[in-house]
Amino acid sequence: MSDILVLVLRLAMAIALYAFLGWALLLLWKDLQERGIALVTRRALPLELLVHQPNSSTTRRAFYQRELLIGRDPTCDISLQDETVSARHARISYHHGQWWLEDLGSTNGTQLNRLRLDTPTVLTSGDEIECGRVALVVSIGIPTDTSPTVRLSNSS
Amino acid sequence: MNTPLRSRRLFGASASFLALFSLILTLSPAVRERTWEVPLRWDHWFGFGVWILCYLLAQRFSRRLLSDPDPYLLAGAFFLSGWGLLTVWRLEPTFGARQTVWLAIATLALVFALRYPRNLALLQRYKYLILLSGLLLTALTLILGSNPSGAGPRLWIGGANLYFQPSEPLKLLLVIYLAAYFAGRLPVETFESQRARNLRQILSIPLIIPTAIMTGLSLLILLIQRDLGTASLFLLVYSFILFLATGKRRVLIVTGLVLAFSALIGYFFTEVIQARLQAWLNPWDDPSGRSYQIIQSLLAVANGGVFGRGPGLGAPRLVPVAISDFIFVAMVEETGLIGAVGLLAWIGLLLARGLRAALLAPDRFQRLLAGGLTIYLGLQSLLILGGNLRLLPLTGITLPFVSYGGSSLMTAFLALALLLRIGSDIEEEPAPLSNHRSYTLLAGLFFLGLFTIALGVGWWTIVRGPALLARTDNPRRSIADRYVRRGSLLDRNHQPITVSERQGREYTRLYLYPDLAPIIGYTHPIYGQAGLEATLDNYLRGLQGNPTRLLWWNFLIYGTPPPGLDVRLSLDLSLQRTADRLLGARAGAIVLLNAQSGEILVMASHPTYDPNLLDETGPRLQTDPNAPLLNRAAQGSYPPASFLDPLLIAHFGPDASPSADQRRAFLDQLGLYRAPNLHLPVAQPARHDTLRVSPLQMALAYACLSNRGTLPAGRIVLAVNTPAQGWVILPALDQPRPVLEADKAQQAAEQWQVPDRPFWRVSALSQENRRSFTWLAMGTLPNWQSVPLTLVVLLEESNLPLATWIGETLMHETLRPRLFSQALPNH
Repeated sequence: MSDILVLVLRLAMAIALYAFLGWALLLLWKDLQERGIALVTRRALPLELLVHQPNSSTTRRAFYQRELLIGRDPTCDISLQDETVSARHARISYHHGQWWLEDLGSTNGTQLNRLRLDTPTVLTSGDEIECGRVALVVSIGIPTDTSPTVRLSNSS
Repeated sequence: MNTPLRSRRLFGASASFLALFSLILTLSPAVRERTWEVPLRWDHWFGFGVWILCYLLAQRFSRRLLSDPDPYLLAGAFFLSGWGLLTVWRLEPTFGARQTVWLAIATLALVFALRYPRNLALLQRYKYLILLSGLLLTALTLILGSNPSGAGPRLWIGGANLYFQPSEPLKLLLVIYLAAYFAGRLPVETFESQRARNLRQILSIPLIIPTAIMTGLSLLILLIQRDLGTASLFLLVYSFILFLATGKRRVLIVTGLVLAFSALIGYFFTEVIQARLQAWLNPWDDPSGRSYQIIQSLLAVANGGVFGRGPGLGAPRLVPVAISDFIFVAMVEETGLIGAVGLLAWIGLLLARGLRAALLAPDRFQRLLAGGLTIYLGLQSLLILGGNLRLLPLTGITLPFVSYGGSSLMTAFLALALLLRIGSDIEEEPAPLSNHRSYTLLAGLFFLGLFTIALGVGWWTIVRGPALLARTDNPRRSIADRYVRRGSLLDRNHQPITVSERQGREYTRLYLYPDLAPIIGYTHPIYGQAGLEATLDNYLRGLQGNPTRLLWWNFLIYGTPPPGLDVRLSLDLSLQRTADRLLGARAGAIVLLNAQSGEILVMASHPTYDPNLLDETGPRLQTDPNAPLLNRAAQGSYPPASFLDPLLIAHFGPDASPSADQRRAFLDQLGLYRAPNLHLPVAQPARHDTLRVSPLQMALAYACLSNRGTLPAGRIVLAVNTPAQGWVILPALDQPRPVLEADKAQQAAEQWQVPDRPFWRVSALSQENRRSFTWLAMGTLPNWQSVPLTLVVLLEESNLPLATWIGETLMHETLRPRLFSQALPNH
């Protein structure tokens, strides 16, 4: 009698061992999934650019993604129709809690506040970027078209 | 899903596994002895309770002190240490109690280390102080060292049952030092220039020399202590951390060469290393000496099989130091390949989380520290697991978290605390990394190693298992004999000769007719098996004659063969009694057989011994000059001399003088140059020209005179009692052979007939090396109306009258009608 009971218990023990293992692996997988989602939805500080093109009007654009490409290529986030701009001219990206500007080996170079850029450099509000003849003015962290801040009630 | 819920569920799953383990362990005595009338095991529940408290405590504090603690690190470490703790309880309850105390202390240390030092950078600043204090403590063992077991390397400090092994925390301190040093000295990596630097720059003198000196110092102390396992672990840990810091694979190659070279040097100059390497390379040469440990370890793994014997139901205590170095083997024996894979997977998961903590660490010191700690845990696990399975030479180190040992457990828990702290701050941006290859490669090496170990377990359980378990030096066979009824040996009239009887809670083998000892033999846990007990072992043990399903079921449930089968012999106890009385204290042998069927009715060999008293008399018997263990009737080799003449005359005629070849051909036909084939250990025929024969051979040869010239096939086993078909006849293993024309046999028998008696008689004296032997053969006449009989008597002295008296009295007893009808009911 004891033998059958113990056999059943041994079976249950093996199941428990693998349930524990399987459970841990399942949680790891979910964890991975959540992190992926978190990375995708993680927001950078919004970035706003004022773009001055020589033969065109000034435009204002706001960005919420973590990486922007500037260039003549139409697939770039900031596509500039100017012959002094290279196809993939410069990159603005958010990491380490900062917005960084990086030249991508453009023909005419990128200037930040009238200085030629050769290493990735942190951007601050009011910085002026020049890609060829095009000038861009940076402003960081100013939400442009969101509704005004309201005080949340305690019930939420 | 949030982390607290996650870690609660992980706790629940591991606690339920360990609760089931404990429950089975509680019930295991009932299964082992197959009755409820036994005391069950309860003591280990104390360990289980303390484990739960420790786990909850650690979980509560890690959640309170750390922002987002890695639930897998804590769950894995506590799962491993809980399983190890219960296994130690199962093996040695006194050590289990101690390990429970150590677990509580280690948990407190873990909680403390989660908080202090407040800033890990403190460790980096005082790196030399940390390492030197560790070295000093270890060096103290050179002066004050002791060994709790009384002998062996003196690696411990302490007394009064509280011992401490400084080389354990030294591992941790060395890792901290190396991580701190490399983090401070390696060239700072910029965000964009991630090109590999050239080797000379990385392995520059200031980088390598101080660490090499400090590691060398540690190695030196360990080598003086003869703690070779830990020393090789240190060397490996050093080079792996260097590899992690520099990303150069060359470091590993050089270390491999250094290790191989020092092993080679050690092989020729150090006895310890030579013994270890020998035991690793050729374990089967010396299974009871140098490689006893490893062979017992492999036997335990083989006994585990796929499903394991169940907690408390194997015999892992047979493996030396099962609680520390060989604990993995003890776990595999009781949970099988299934349990081994589960355990290895958890070790792998733990290592993976350690490397993850390293990759996400906020600065280089913490990254190297987490990497180094993972290296220490991973390499130590792989070294000892590989050693247990003969994949690597055996190194006397512990399995982290699992093995018995306070210092080892404490060190592992402190490493866990550091990993938890480093792994919990992952919200901060990870430090830059120039080259991820070394981390990927390291993880790959760990997983490959664990996978190889899983394959090794599979190899020893599935592929080599059956052959290993059948080895005669497998002590589990005699343990099974204590709990499973071994088949009885019966005489031809179903009178018991040897039985297994339950005395108290275990079976004991009782030899009811001790005078038959040289023929029946014995089965004994120390002296092994002999005689019919050895040759019929598969039937008596139930391995043969039982359905395969029954074998499989019994092995699954109990890990033993099913109850054994009874075997009926051809011996006749009443005649045997007469023969033994007649032979008395003389040295000699008697064989009486049915000349037609070859069934042996009497086989006596004197002097004899009492196998019931083997425990006390065993050592003396083996060296006794009278050789009582020898079955003189079948294994004795005596010079036949003129005892062959009657047979030669019967064949060639009284006056012929046959050539040597003719003579030899005839004697070969009589079976004197070959070993008779029956279920009995017999003398192997002599290769040289001087003929030696056993009384059994002579009895079979002379049987042809009573059996119309046909040599019968000898039989001593008649039938075996199978559960499915009842008594099944076991046929003779030889074929009867005509060797003499019937009329020649008739003539010869009549020629030597004893006047007015229904039998013939011949005798001879032989001499060799100043020892005399008396041969006598008797047999019924061919025209005898009942069962034809042949009898051979051999005395190890020159005493023809005694031999004649023995022979005639026994013949007379056998032929008495009343006794005879009782003795041979089948005819």
